[in-house]
Amino acid sequence: MKRFKNLLQKEVKELVTKQLVISLAFTVLLFNAIGQISKKEVQKAVGIQTISVLDQDGSEGSRALLKGLESARFKIVDQTGKGKDEALASAKAGESKLLLVVPAGFGDSLAELKPSEIETYSFMRSFSLIGARGQVVVQSVISALNETLSNDFLAAKLPGADPVSLKRPIKSRDFVVVRDRTAEGSAGLIAGMLSQQSMLIPIVLMMIVIYSSQMVISAVAMEKQNKTLETLLTVPIKRTSIITAKMFAAGLVGLISAGVYMFAFKGFIGGMGEEVAAAGARASGTALMQKLGLTFDTTGYLILGLSLFLAILVALAMAMILGVLAEDFRSAQNMIMPLMFMVMIPYFISLFADIDTLSLPVKILILAIPFSHPFLVSQNIYLGHYGMIAAGLGYMLLVFIVLVIYAARIFSTDKILTMKLRFGKKKAPAA
Amino acid sequence: MSNVLTVRGLKKSYGAHAALAGIDFEVRAGEVFALIGPNGAGKTTTLRIAATLLTSTAGEITFLDRDLRKEPDFVREKISYLPEEAGAYKDMKGMDYLRFMAGFYGRDAGEEKEFVERAAAITELGNRLKTKVGTYSKGMTRKLLLARALMTRPVLAILDEPTSGLDVLNALDVREIIRRYVKEGTSVLLSSHNMLEIEFLSDRVGLIDKGRILDTGTPDELKAKHAAKNLEEVFRSSLR
Repeated sequence: MKRFKNLLQKEVKELVTKQLVISLAFTVLLFNAIGQISKKEVQKAVGIQTISVLDQDGSEGSRALLKGLESARFKIVDQTGKGKDEALASAKAGESKLLLVVPAGFGDSLAELKPSEIETYSFMRSFSLIGARGQVVVQSVISALNETLSNDFLAAKLPGADPVSLKRPIKSRDFVVVRDRTAEGSAGLIAGMLSQQSMLIPIVLMMIVIYSSQMVISAVAMEKQNKTLETLLTVPIKRTSIITAKMFAAGLVGLISAGVYMFAFKGFIGGMGEEVAAAGARASGTALMQKLGLTFDTTGYLILGLSLFLAILVALAMAMILGVLAEDFRSAQNMIMPLMFMVMIPYFISLFADIDTLSLPVKILILAIPFSHPFLVSQNIYLGHYGMIAAGLGYMLLVFIVLVIYAARIFSTDKILTMKLRFGKKKAPAA
Repeated sequence: MSNVLTVRGLKKSYGAHAALAGIDFEVRAGEVFALIGPNGAGKTTTLRIAATLLTSTAGEITFLDRDLRKEPDFVREKISYLPEEAGAYKDMKGMDYLRFMAGFYGRDAGEEKEFVERAAAITELGNRLKTKVGTYSKGMTRKLLLARALMTRPVLAILDEPTSGLDVLNALDVREIIRRYVKEGTSVLLSSHNMLEIEFLSDRVGLIDKGRILDTGTPDELKAKHAAKNLEEVFRSSLR
């Protein structure tokens, strides 16, 4: 144990370098700063916005439109009395995000129940989504006006009839059924919320796998590059202790690094603001998910945690073997690629397809990748597929054991010195 | 004199290539036994097998009468190995490196301190031990590594080309350090290209070529047997 502790201390000290601490601190500060800037921009976008209006009609209908815009928190710069070109130039020079032109005859057309046109000129000073928000709100105001006007028309023509029922004679009540529970709501909303929640799992997994694996691979490759491996292999410490110390140190530092990055990322996302997301829809979605039992209890979180933990162990064991194959630190950088692909394949497939509906060979291929299982865990917990969960956890444990035994074999035999993945010329064995 | 290391019919193959084709020699207690031979002769492979880094394909190798293949952990407790191209952790200070290595051998803090102090004295690096190994010259690094190999007073020190790449003065220092430790009881198995070095250091010599031992004896015995003035001539004669 004393010897293991001695080696573990050295491994951790080697990994926690000044560069790592500075880069982590810099990332936290940078992400937070970006988050704060984004927050201010979002606040500006959802705050009072300035638009210019050229009302060439001056009718009751056009005034109703402008009133609607004012109630939608728009600051209106009146360009009335100017020509269209002059109004455009004036609006463009000012702060206005948009020029709304209400042509002459707009009110009359409305009164005669003929289609009326208005023109909008959006000034795209940037190409961000937030920048184009003004026009989206104007369109929603117009569609609200359309609704009111058509209702008024139907009420006038068919007194006593309900205009809303006339326009939508068929109404649907939507229900979602999950296992033995049924609740009224939209399946699309549930799917959207679940996919938003499960987005976090691949990000966490990717970060930890990449950081920890990179560290293990580098730890072994650096021993080779610095010509310290041979000495280390002849000191009185068990080879399995060497593997464990390297894996443990890399796992620990990788986990902390990923945690810091996640914290920084949360600061960045948090800065994007609650206002952008449809908070109301989310609240109703959360209530619907609770009704359907689509929430994690303590056991659910434990299973998810265990699944992520096993995936990390598998990644570390794979990285240990890949580290042996690397000849030096530089080639170790490339060795991380197969691991990254193995995490990315199930991630992208889970984004675009349902693993259950894939063809059998593809399904087998996906399930054979140990990192696929943490992606499936939350879905399987919600759906009560505990057999699948147990099989996934068992499979990851089996892969980990096989890999560790193989890594221990490599470290206990000549392979640790002779096994190499060369991309260039072959060297003759040592004499 | 009892044997520390006994090698009988040792073979090692890398696929079809036979690095060792059956060699026999022994290292006696308190002696320096040197393997000399050209590049590719099998010196490093022999030393690596003796250091438990490689496993032999056939033959027998015993350390203090114990089978080296079956009890590598026992062997590692009592030997030290200095590879030809060894390095130390560049980001560690010299003293920290010695402390780290002593941590594997010392039974307690007191013994570890004793090892580190002994190693510090061997290196003669003084205050430079407080600086990072990455800033050391080749000679300084080699002395640090040799000190690491000898600080525990191992039963057997296996030294592969101990003065490789060193200038004359540093090489002289290293040879004197080795001789001093042999007097204190450590046996040494070493390899070298440098015949003068071998003559100065070794009690007995094994001439090795193409994975076979050509001849074994003290430098004087070999010179007399081959009617040669020095070991270079002995080697040339034995190749014929």
